[in-house]
Amino acid sequence: MKSFRLKQHLAYSVVGLIFGGVLTRIGFADYDELHKMFILTDLRMLYTFAGAVALSMAVYFVLNKRIPKQHKILQPGTVPGSMLFGFGWAITGACPSLVFIQLGHGALPAIATAIGIFIGVWLYKKAHSRYFGWDTGTCGV
Amino acid sequence: MIEYWPWWLGALGLGGVGIIYLLLIGRLLGVSGSWAKVVAWKENRETLKANRALVEDTAAMENAFMAETLAEFGEDAVKELQGSYPEADQQEATVAVEDLEATTPWTAHLTFLLSIFAGAFVVAWYNGQFELRLDLSDVHSRIFGDTWEVWLAMLFGGMMVGFGTQMAGGCTSGHGLSGCARLIPASFLATLVFMLSAIFLSMLMEVMIR
Repeated sequence: MKSFRLKQHLAYSVVGLIFGGVLTRIGFADYDELHKMFILTDLRMLYTFAGAVALSMAVYFVLNKRIPKQHKILQPGTVPGSMLFGFGWAITGACPSLVFIQLGHGALPAIATAIGIFIGVWLYKKAHSRYFGWDTGTCGV
Repeated sequence: MIEYWPWWLGALGLGGVGIIYLLLIGRLLGVSGSWAKVVAWKENRETLKANRALVEDTAAMENAFMAETLAEFGEDAVKELQGSYPEADQQEATVAVEDLEATTPWTAHLTFLLSIFAGAFVVAWYNGQFELRLDLSDVHSRIFGDTWEVWLAMLFGGMMVGFGTQMAGGCTSGHGLSGCARLIPASFLATLVFMLSAIFLSMLMEVMIR
């Protein structure tokens, strides 16, 4: 049991390190690059993203049977939630992983973003259990 | 000025991360899920404890039954019983252990998030990109100014990101990368909506500062 836990933490940290390095070299932490993508003057990162989706699609298609079933369903929060996220992304240049890339570059305002994300997630948890109560299908268990 | 990876190399890298995550961890990549687990660390710890207690209870109960059976029928009857269902017995045991392990401890998710930071820091440092600065970038300062209000904008923007990704049930990695690659309709819709909203707001900001 103990060694399983250790392996699990190690696996998460290895993937996290690679993830952070790759996102840095793509330039996702650079607000200028991101903004250029969003005003559609430089589509390099959009192609990067589309290419990554296409590659994953092909590999997942081959590995089909070994992949755990994804619990992602269309629910009342899908569209408004995504809109809120899109606006927030345009303002802060950060999605839940990019905020750590910005911090890794030494951009101090990202600390405010990280605190904001923490508060946002917490607020949603409260609001969800009190008012919404539908199935959101958030990743992982 | 640092040269970023061309799109095809970036696609290989980003797609590769998702695949490594699946192979090492056995789930599909989703960072907002990790955030949710870290924020809900208290509940997560209680679930783990409850699971562990359940497994121990089951073991204790089985021992009690076994002792009862031994007292009632003697050892021969037990041996006969075990002989007749060897497979069923084993299966039950593995299911219980898997249930326990299915709940990833929240500290693993925290490790993941901190490792993203560490990976970015190491690579940025190595490339001479690391620089402590009070603004995000020149373009960002041009749009939002460079007063303290920027920090407030970041805080509220962050709250929108946090609330929105939880409400939508995924973010760029969960819906955009993993969900679209699995051809899930809700993920296609979510990705389309958040990309279009980000494009809309960025265009609007660009027009307003002109």
